[in-house]
Amino acid sequence: MNRRTMRLVGMLATLLAFGLGAASGGSAAGSPAHWPIYMPDAQHVGSPALQPPPVCCVPVAPPPAGAPAPVNMAYFGGHVQVTPKIYLVFWGWGQPGAFDHTTPGMPADDPDGAAARMTAFVKAMGGTAWAGVSTQYYETVNGQNIFIQNPANVFGGVWYDDTNPIHDNVTGLELAQEAQRAVAHFGVTDLANSQFVIAQPQKFNEAGFNSGAGYCAWHDYTQPSTYPGVEPGISFTNMPYVLNSGASCGENSVNTGYFAGRLDGFTIVMGHEIEETITDPGAEDVINGQNLGGWYDYTGYENGDKCAWVGYTDGLTAPSTVPGGLNDITGNDGQTYPVQSLWSNQSAAGAGWCAGAGDDLPVTG
Amino acid sequence: MKNALCRLVVLAAATAVLAGVAAAATTSVTITNPSAGQKISSKRTPYLAVAGSVSFAPATPGSTTFYLRRDGCGTSNDNPHLSVTTGTDAGDGCGLIVDAIGPAGDVDQSAFIDFPASDGMPLALDGTRAVDGQISLTGAQVGLAEVDVTLAALVNGQAVTIGSGTGSAVLDPTGASTPVPFTIDANPTLDGSDLQALDLRVHIHGPNVYSGFISLNGSSWVDLPSYAASVNKSVSVSLDDPSFANAVPARVSGSTWSVAIPTPAVGSHTLYARSTQGYDTSAAASRTFTVTK
Repeated sequence: MNRRTMRLVGMLATLLAFGLGAASGGSAAGSPAHWPIYMPDAQHVGSPALQPPPVCCVPVAPPPAGAPAPVNMAYFGGHVQVTPKIYLVFWGWGQPGAFDHTTPGMPADDPDGAAARMTAFVKAMGGTAWAGVSTQYYETVNGQNIFIQNPANVFGGVWYDDTNPIHDNVTGLELAQEAQRAVAHFGVTDLANSQFVIAQPQKFNEAGFNSGAGYCAWHDYTQPSTYPGVEPGISFTNMPYVLNSGASCGENSVNTGYFAGRLDGFTIVMGHEIEETITDPGAEDVINGQNLGGWYDYTGYENGDKCAWVGYTDGLTAPSTVPGGLNDITGNDGQTYPVQSLWSNQSAAGAGWCAGAGDDLPVTG
Repeated sequence: MKNALCRLVVLAAATAVLAGVAAAATTSVTITNPSAGQKISSKRTPYLAVAGSVSFAPATPGSTTFYLRRDGCGTSNDNPHLSVTTGTDAGDGCGLIVDAIGPAGDVDQSAFIDFPASDGMPLALDGTRAVDGQISLTGAQVGLAEVDVTLAALVNGQAVTIGSGTGSAVLDPTGASTPVPFTIDANPTLDGSDLQALDLRVHIHGPNVYSGFISLNGSSWVDLPSYAASVNKSVSVSLDDPSFANAVPARVSGSTWSVAIPTPAVGSHTLYARSTQGYDTSAAASRTFTVTK
C-alpha cells in the first residue's frame, strides 16, 4: 500500500469510526452531536475519531483562581455522583460460548478471574486516596456546592445475568437496555448516584470494540434522543473484555509478570470509566440547550481522559516513574490494584496534574 | 411428561447420584458409619462418630514435559504456547530474533516471548526438584547466546513465580541448531501447589551475532517436576445439605476418614460426604439415619 492509499484508508477508518460513535448513541435534531465518552486504547490516544464531543457551552463557573483554564477542568452545571454506588453486571458470562477456554479451579463463567478482580476492585476502591481525588469536585444545587464524597463502600451489587441473552457485536442501545434491566434487577431508585458497568465476556463484545475502532471502553448517559425506549437518566459503562486487546488496553502495563499483569487492564479501564462517571455522570450531554455535564475541560476531556495511559511505555520501563503514571494502589482490603491516575485541579499548586495513583508530583524513588 | 412420571425420573436420577458409594475420576468416598437406616439415641450419643473410606489417585513423583510450540508464522494467531504433546509446528522458523554485539558485549533488545500452557493443567508441582529444559536456537549465528527463562503460574487464582534461570551456549554457525540448556530452581514454598495455568517467558540476548529463531518441532522444551496427582487431599462432611455450604472437614488417615459431629435433632437426617484431590472433587456419598430421643 502506498502512502496516499494508506492516508485514504486512514481517513476512511476515521470516518467509519465517527459513524460508529454516532450510531452508538444517535443524535437528535437541534442538539449537538452525541457520542459516548471513549477511552482510547494506548495506541489510539489522540485519535480524532475518539475525541469527546465538542464542548458547546460556557461552564457554570471558571476554574479556581490562578488555574490555567484550558488545562484544568471546569464545572458545566450538571449533577455529579455525591454518594456513588457502582453496580456490576456480568452480562452473559455464563452463557454457552461466552469463553473459549476453561481454567482448572476457576469458575466456568470467569476462567481468567476478570469478574472476580473487577468485583474485588469495586469493593475495595472506596475510601482510597485514588478515589479521594474526586472529592474536590462538586455539583451546585440552589447556589450551594455539594462535594463528592469518598465513602468506604461504593459497591452497589453484582449481577451475573445469564437470563437475557447476549450476542457478539452488541450495540450501544442493547447495552443501555441491559443497564435498564439492571436498574430493575437491583431495585435502584437513586439513579443520580448510581452507575452500571455492563461487563462483557470474552466472546460477546460490543461492536465498536470488536471492530478495532481503537477504544477500550466508554461511558454514557441515557436520554430519549440517544437511547430511544430506554429509561432516561441511567449512567452506564460499556466494559468489553479488554484482555482481547492485550497490551493496548492495559495487559501487563503495570505488573510485568505474565499472570501478575494479565488482568491489569480490567481495573485500569474500569477505574477510568467509574471515576469519569462519578464526576460527569451526564457524559457531556446537552439536551434542549441544558448542559447535563459535570466536570471536564474545554476540549471535553474528563478526569480519566486527561490522565489515560500516562507513563505507558509498552513494558519497557515502569510507568510509575513518571508523575501520575499508571501504578498499583492499595485498596481498602489491603490488596493491590493497578489503576491510572485522575486529573486533580488542586495538584501542582492549582495548575492541575494527574494524581491519586501513588506517584503524584514529585515522584521519588 | 406428566408430573408423577417426571418426579419418578428425577428421583431415580437423584438416587443414582447419591448412592452409598459414589465415584469420580480420581477420588471417591464412602460412608461406613452411621450405617444405612441406623437409629441413634440422642441421649446416649451426644456426638455422632462419622467415618468412611476414601481413595485418592497416587501422587507419585514424576515429571511433565512441555514443548514450545507455535501455530503460525506472521499470522494474526501465531499462538506461541506450551503443550504436553509435540509435533510439527507451522510456526517453526518464526519469531525472528536479531541480535548483535554491542559496545558492552551484549545487546539486550528487551524483547521476550511468552509461551502459556494450552494443556497439561492442572498440574501438581514438585518444588523439591529443579526444572530442566532447553531452548534450541537456529539461524545465522556466532558468539555466546544467553537465554533467560522465567516460569510463572497461577495458584488459587493468584500469580506466582516458580523460578527463573539463565542458560548459555556458544552458537554453532555450522550446526542446524544450538541447544541452550537451562535449569530453574523451583521456589520450594510452592511444593505441592496445584498449578492452574503456566507460562514460560523466554528472553534471548548475549554477546553474539545472531539472526534466527527458537527452533520448535520438539527441540525446545521444559521439564517440570510434578506429582502424578495432587498431594492436597481432603474429605468434608455435610449434614442435610447436599450443597456442602457449611461442610465440616474430616480427618483423613490413609484410606479412611473420620469426624465427630454433634448429634442432630430427633428425626431423619441425611449425611453427605465427598473427597477432594486438588481440583478434582468426588461425587457425594450419602447415608440416611434416624435420631431418636
